[in-house]
Amino acid sequence: MTAAAPDPKMNMGQPVPRYDAVVKVTGRATYASDMPLSDPAYAFLVTSAIAKGRIDSLDLDEARRVRGVIDIVTHENAPRLKDSKLFSNGGYAGTTIQPLKSADIAHDGQIIAVVVAETYESARDAANRVKVSYTATTPSATFDSPGTTIAAAKGQNAQFKEDPKVGDFAKAFDEAEVKLTASYETPTQHHNPMELFSTSCAWMGDELVIYEPSQFVHGLKHGVAEQLGIDADKVRVVNPYVGGGFGSRGSMTPRTAIIAAIAKRLNRPVKLVPTRDQGFTITTHRAETRHEIKLGARPDGKLVALRHEGAEVSSRPDAYCVGGTKTTTRLYACPNVDSLVSIVRADRNTPGFMRSPPEVPYLFALESAMDELAVKLNLDPVELRRINDTTNEPIGGKPYTSRSLMACFDEAAKAFGWAQRSPQPKSMSDGDWLIGYGCAATCYPTQMGPAAARVRLQRDGRTRVEIAGHEIGTGAYTVIAQTAAERLGVPLEKVAVFIGDSDLPPAPVAGGSNSTASTCSVVTMVCDQIRQRLFKAVMPGQSLTDKAKATVGIGQTPATQAAKGDRPLDLEKAFDALGVGVVEEYGEWKPEGAPLDSFRAMHSGQVRLVGGDQMKDQIAYAFGAEFVEVRVNRFTHEIRCPRLVGAFAAGRIMNPRTARSQLMGGLIWGMSSALLEATEIDERNARYVNDNLADYLVPVNADVANVEVILLSEQDDRINPVGVKGVGELANVGTNAAICNAIYHATGQRIRKLPVRLENIEV
Amino acid sequence: MSDTPSSRQSAFDRRAFMVGAAGSALVPITARAAAEEARVPAAQDPALPVDVTLRVNGKDKRLHIDARTTVLDALRDHLKLTGSKKGCDHGQCGACTVLIDDRRVVSCLTLALAAEGQEITTIEGLATDDRLHPMQQAFIDNDAFQCGYCTPGQIMSAIACVKEGHAGSEADIREYMSGNICRCAAYPNIVAAVKQAAPEIMKG
Repeated sequence: MTAAAPDPKMNMGQPVPRYDAVVKVTGRATYASDMPLSDPAYAFLVTSAIAKGRIDSLDLDEARRVRGVIDIVTHENAPRLKDSKLFSNGGYAGTTIQPLKSADIAHDGQIIAVVVAETYESARDAANRVKVSYTATTPSATFDSPGTTIAAAKGQNAQFKEDPKVGDFAKAFDEAEVKLTASYETPTQHHNPMELFSTSCAWMGDELVIYEPSQFVHGLKHGVAEQLGIDADKVRVVNPYVGGGFGSRGSMTPRTAIIAAIAKRLNRPVKLVPTRDQGFTITTHRAETRHEIKLGARPDGKLVALRHEGAEVSSRPDAYCVGGTKTTTRLYACPNVDSLVSIVRADRNTPGFMRSPPEVPYLFALESAMDELAVKLNLDPVELRRINDTTNEPIGGKPYTSRSLMACFDEAAKAFGWAQRSPQPKSMSDGDWLIGYGCAATCYPTQMGPAAARVRLQRDGRTRVEIAGHEIGTGAYTVIAQTAAERLGVPLEKVAVFIGDSDLPPAPVAGGSNSTASTCSVVTMVCDQIRQRLFKAVMPGQSLTDKAKATVGIGQTPATQAAKGDRPLDLEKAFDALGVGVVEEYGEWKPEGAPLDSFRAMHSGQVRLVGGDQMKDQIAYAFGAEFVEVRVNRFTHEIRCPRLVGAFAAGRIMNPRTARSQLMGGLIWGMSSALLEATEIDERNARYVNDNLADYLVPVNADVANVEVILLSEQDDRINPVGVKGVGELANVGTNAAICNAIYHATGQRIRKLPVRLENIEV
Repeated sequence: MSDTPSSRQSAFDRRAFMVGAAGSALVPITARAAAEEARVPAAQDPALPVDVTLRVNGKDKRLHIDARTTVLDALRDHLKLTGSKKGCDHGQCGACTVLIDDRRVVSCLTLALAAEGQEITTIEGLATDDRLHPMQQAFIDNDAFQCGYCTPGQIMSAIACVKEGHAGSEADIREYMSGNICRCAAYPNIVAAVKQAAPEIMKG
């Protein structure tokens, strides 16, 4: 076994290799822009060079003269599309800014024309020859820019229902013996998944096929149908493999319906592969945020008052916000809590989900402040967390379904060697390098959504699972195959999984770390329907009690605890008794507490995730603890991060191999969020400056040394049938704070604004 | 820019992707719609297809393509070898890495015309008779990918990294594999995979 495949502990599945491993290492995995098209025309986007104003005129003469140009679509001749509402307001879109509708420009890099040509080269050439005259007005770029507006999130964002508060914060803070007030800032970030934001559209009569990397094929299908004004059953979105998502492909962008409409007009498949820099403005991003934290504590470390005020930047028309106070106000025991989230409107494209949307910026603030408080109290920061650990969240008093936060701290601290830390800042060094140790808590809400699946079992054990889940690198194929194999007792290699196609039964958006919980829950349920049919056929006299349902095994089910000790069911005998060659079942599953309209919503591409802090009598989160070592060169101020150690508890781990990889990637994302990533904004022009992969810094191999992931055993039967909490977004939370805490320990300098670069070090 | 509206003329979109091949030397060309008007000589119109023969994975492939076509687009759009991926088209990410005469090259910055007469090896050319190349197997064993989009480029780069003699230590592997971005950040697993496959590849 390699380090990549850790031995399973209690309540973990087998670390089998990825279902999609061979196709991915041989180049046979077909991503959206790899899909064969019959005689496609190539589209190239022209995007706005100003952030605010209007187009006065377009001179297309030179562009039209480029050989091979078929059509140039602008606001003057674009197909008319219906508006789509924001996903959070019952629509499908990630932005309500609809390009090519009028001459108005709402943000830099907005699509203003689409050139279609016989070849990619001609389309690009002609796009570069489109001449645009603008009337520009001064845009408002970000925080502090003249012309921005600010207002409370509550009341303008349908999904931000309340600012959590409890007790009397003002009085408690006023009377607190130890107080801390500190402000923090996080930057704009872009997901930059490796696969570009391509879209290919092909019509067969009145039926449309869309090849596009999507984290929500059913949402995209319904959204595009709505914009085109056609029946959703005529639209099919296909993407068996997605080259990374990180939230960027969760909601519909305007490009898809535009390309679909152009393909219809030309009666020819159209393929769009936007450039990397266009991806910065035609999709979404993580907005920049500001925070003020106030903590009041007793000298023994017990929190008595906590206030978290956050502000986030959004676009003019859309009140997007992540509102991470829902998590930061509930993480620690504290009787007096107050919070406020505000939205600042600027002339920017609408932001959206990016891996752990609320927790990355908001826990940076809280977990930095906790470290600052530990310093004030002269307490070990791990002990400060222990003193304020809780089994019930403080706002509503609801119990956590399970909470292994301190177990994670203890395991990670041990593996890291935290005990060797000398607490004084600047007290550890190695030659020219100042050494700092830092830690932080991480958590992420457990979420699930309604899902449907179809499973077919053949007499010879071959199994086919169909569900419109998404393989964005998480291991979706693998854990779905493992679930079916285990539940039906068939060998893993006999299971075929079909996902990433909106013609399959709907699954939720691959976001909010819900996919494994949702898809494996419904696949388990449908496999059980098959077991019941076979069971009834073989033992017609027996009643289908719950016990029988759970214990009748078919074939070998070594990993199913319930099946152990029961004699295996003879598959061939069962099929003979049924008199069929194939058993197929379809089923729909919804989590406890799901709204009444869940299934209807599911079939119209709407997301109804439940869980986290939104449950009725309980609250469900996954937890972890992260420890980092940083080294700061005392002369050059270069910052390195040679060690990242994280321990995580997230309910059942379906596959320790894929889980470890995701958490490892998350830790590196967290490091990157602290030290590398920021989209720089030209405040005069409200424009992203470093819109490419050389200037927008993401980690490369040389930035990463030792990363250790510790998976803790945790069993939680109160969340969903498979007991899964999800790990996709757990590890990149808190890391940014852990690194700043370590930089403080190394240098004595507290840095409250991300990212930290060598020019920010003053020692 | 002032607060009052101002007019601004932009000849090119600021994000223009300047094509090196022939862009600035162009004289006006008639549109396809006005096809019968006099055309400039073929040599001056990059959009007029040219004949190119590429040797890919041991086989000669004859193409009739736009002179500005890159090796990457030739492979993907014209030869249906879509294993090599487009992640930036600027040589910044490494997803398009192929071997040309055994050297690792970013195929997005290499014109197809310039690769004539050279041996191009892509991810599709590694496995033989359903037997995976040792580097492919090592990537599976060490879970050296998640979404898989950068993987073909990583594997091509990893093979060259070993053959260049840059796989002697983990630090070396990290350094010499840093031209290939993996946004899922499978880096430690990629290092482990290169380490595993290196001895077998060096044996030949």
